[in-house]
Amino acid sequence: MISRDLVGGLAAVVIGAVYLYFAYQLRVSALDDSLGPSGMPRIYGWLLLSLGLILTAQAILSRLIGAPLAAGREALRGEWEGQGRRIGWAAGLFAIGAAYLSAVEKLGYLVSVALLIPAAATFLGARFGPRLLAIAALGAVALWAIFALVLGVSMPSGLLGRLGL
Amino acid sequence: MRKQRILAAGSAVFMCGMIAGAHAQDYPVDTVTLITHSSPGGGSDVFLRELSRYLGPILGANVVVENVRGGSGAAAMANLAQSAPDGSKFYATTPTFIYTSLLSDPEYKYTDLEPLVNFFIDPEVIYTSANSEYQTLEDVIDHAREGRGQWGAANPASLERQALEQLKAAAGVNAAVVTHEGGGDLLINVLNGTLQIGVGEVQEIQSQLEAGELRLLATFSDERLEAFPDLPTVEELGYDVVVRKFRGLAGPKDLPVDVIAAWERAVQEVLADEEYKAAYEAANLRAAYMPHEEYVQFIEDFGNETRDFLKETGVIE
Amino acid sequence: METLVQSASYLFDLGVIIAALAGVTWGIMGGALPGISPSITMALLLPFTYTMEPMSAIVLLASTYIGAEYGGSVPAILIRTPGTNAAAATVIDGYEMNRQGKAGLALGISLYSGVLGSLFGLAMLILLSGPLSRVALAFTPPAYFALGVLGLSVIATLSGENLVKGFIAAILGLMVATIGTDPVTGGTRFTFGSSELLSGIEPVMIMVGLFAMSELLVQAGGRGEAERVTSRPRINFPDLKLARRLAFPQSIGGVIGTFEGVMPGAGGTIASFMSYNEARRWSRRPEEFGKGSPEGIAAPETANNTVAETALVPLLSFGIPGSNSTAILLGGFLIHGIVPGPMLFQRSGEIVHGLYAGLFTATFGMLVMGMLLLPACIWLVNRPRPYLNAFIFALILSGIYSIHNSVFDLGIMMAAGAVGFFMRMLRFPFLPTVLGLVLGYLVESSFRRSLVLSGDDLMIFVDDRISLALLMLAFLFIAGSLGKRIYDLARRRRVEAFSEGSEARE
Repeated sequence: MISRDLVGGLAAVVIGAVYLYFAYQLRVSALDDSLGPSGMPRIYGWLLLSLGLILTAQAILSRLIGAPLAAGREALRGEWEGQGRRIGWAAGLFAIGAAYLSAVEKLGYLVSVALLIPAAATFLGARFGPRLLAIAALGAVALWAIFALVLGVSMPSGLLGRLGL
Repeated sequence: MRKQRILAAGSAVFMCGMIAGAHAQDYPVDTVTLITHSSPGGGSDVFLRELSRYLGPILGANVVVENVRGGSGAAAMANLAQSAPDGSKFYATTPTFIYTSLLSDPEYKYTDLEPLVNFFIDPEVIYTSANSEYQTLEDVIDHAREGRGQWGAANPASLERQALEQLKAAAGVNAAVVTHEGGGDLLINVLNGTLQIGVGEVQEIQSQLEAGELRLLATFSDERLEAFPDLPTVEELGYDVVVRKFRGLAGPKDLPVDVIAAWERAVQEVLADEEYKAAYEAANLRAAYMPHEEYVQFIEDFGNETRDFLKETGVIE
Repeated sequence: METLVQSASYLFDLGVIIAALAGVTWGIMGGALPGISPSITMALLLPFTYTMEPMSAIVLLASTYIGAEYGGSVPAILIRTPGTNAAAATVIDGYEMNRQGKAGLALGISLYSGVLGSLFGLAMLILLSGPLSRVALAFTPPAYFALGVLGLSVIATLSGENLVKGFIAAILGLMVATIGTDPVTGGTRFTFGSSELLSGIEPVMIMVGLFAMSELLVQAGGRGEAERVTSRPRINFPDLKLARRLAFPQSIGGVIGTFEGVMPGAGGTIASFMSYNEARRWSRRPEEFGKGSPEGIAAPETANNTVAETALVPLLSFGIPGSNSTAILLGGFLIHGIVPGPMLFQRSGEIVHGLYAGLFTATFGMLVMGMLLLPACIWLVNRPRPYLNAFIFALILSGIYSIHNSVFDLGIMMAAGAVGFFMRMLRFPFLPTVLGLVLGYLVESSFRRSLVLSGDDLMIFVDDRISLALLMLAFLFIAGSLGKRIYDLARRRRVEAFSEGSEARE
């Protein structure tokens, strides 16, 4: 069984390694100070890498020596239970957000938000129906009014913009 | 926090010069948008908003200012390069747009824009704390020659930094050029004696000058300043360094001839406007009108010089 | 004394009163919207100040600033979204209290602490401007470095049960802070040719991602399993007993806020985290922190509202803006041809007196507007969870977009949300990441700047007295907290760990 710390430690090692790879490619210039633009990044990278290894070692060691075994194993088994389902649901919401990102410049802010709200609410368990659509439409107009009208942020106009709205 | 990373303000659009003057029919579009990468309240922003007040009636169009932030001008250059060259949109240029183009190699660079005209050249001066022992630039350079000088520039990879590096090379001394996060940090470190000298525009240190807390040592301009006739130029002192911090406009490529002509006329007129003149002279701006052709050449030269400097020092390949 | 009398005469100036109230209301609204920072809120008003009287214009902008610094705490408590960077520390205990059905009290404490902090800061600004401005001057690059290290030392105590995990989280934040333009050479780092990354990643995007977006993802994963307690839509101010208990954390916040505000570049975020940590260190009930401690709201909220006032010290006495917001205020001065700095008090004394009076009025405006607006906000977050979360999602996507009008930023925020989701699943704490992110640039740039100054001589950090003192303090903090961990471990006691709810809520 793999503990969460083991996964975390390995993830840190990977992130540290990737970061270091790029840190070593930073350009050197005559305007540099002695530490240079890559000085701190290298320190951070090596630190993350070693801390990741320590965490990994900790995780493995505590598996080997720690834990009165039966109880430990029980705890470990429970550790990942249901996480797959959780990740699935979270990924769903993330996908709705990603869809919004890809649509907002084409459809425009008002339309995209009017679609985002009912999609996210339905996904999160609200009953789909006229009531939801009405709330979403009202909410989208309210958000648009706050950001575009009151605050004057130039939100993407998209479709409606082309219609001259 | 990072001062130069000021958050974008969306686009605070301000209508100015609402009354279209007598020349309304001369200019091809009703509204001219001047884009700046500076944040609202920043140097370029204040300058443009002041200018737009006087420019509107003279140009015969509404002049509005828009802040397009992000990427130290990269976003503004991309915005401009992709808009129609109909005279409706211009970018307020300062040396920053050349530095950004060269340093970060964005998709759209200063070479994708067409310089229109130049308005001003801001004099850059060398200053020290009034409590310091340095009376002349020579004192500072002697100090750097003997030991280790500490000189300050407001931002990394900026015109001021380049000026100090060039001064260092011209004087043959090894001073540390310390960069900061904007003029404020720099000013504090000059006032508290951490640095011997700082470089900046006069308007940034105006209040301290008046209060007698700072002393000017030299100016990087090509001739002496009207406001400080006793202040020598760096060139006079024997170091061949001249800095021209320009403020002008640039537009998309292929600007129509009538637009260029309208601007050349309007800019000369606005710079001569009594009321505006009083305002910009109070802010220590020096009118340095350059017509279209001259400005195009100027920007090209400036770009090449900067590129050479950055290449020599190894900042860019 | 003379200043007080002259300022008082402007208390009844109608223009000042209107500007102060309008500004503070606008500020609360802007600050409460995630992504709309105090500086953006002020910048949006800047064009209108052109045609105003100079005094009203300055009062309007300054009142907006203090309103916005307060407003950030509202979404921090109600929807786990820091409306401003400085409100990030308030999220920890504020949101926890909200989950326990005590949103009304949490908002009451933040409002009341904000008003106290604001008044304290104003008093410091009026009475001690001169001495405080000398503090700002005394801070050289090595001292700033030491200050940053002192801020980072907080990580040692905010790391939860596993110190290694806390450090990993902190380094992730430090790494994000290296993206963008190099502070010394001006070259680019880790931008991969993207011009959006050129000026770095705004901390608020990462904070909203880590706190709010990850919470949405976790709740989506939980599918309404968690019991939900709703709060009554009314504001409760603390009773006498609680107010007495809060007085100490508030004083900590006030003092730290005063100093951090005065130093250009330090800012409200560091102040609120440091006072949060100090409040916890000196509290009689440190175990409550992270689980809905009222002191955990009072300290940072007092601090960041104090900062909003004392940040005016360097602006007025040197003409140096210490933050984005004061940079905009400087613009407001310059537009009207007033140059802040040593000559300001002689030349435009009446503007300064009007400003003081306006800030005083604005603080009471803040109290009144808070009491009027907040019940409606609580009502809003009591709506059924799927609706609420869908709207929060739409709100943060709108707010982050408006920072640079960029979809790219939304991607960064969502990515930070995904990282936050997995960090919670793997039980990594967030706070070290946030601190690393906020302090990374300050620490790196001032460290390298100091070395350039000294010619690579590390003794500069010892020779500078302020730097030495702060570094020793940081060392004591780290050693103390490590020592305590080892002691607890040796006694085989469960490490009395603190974490901000990094556990996935099951």
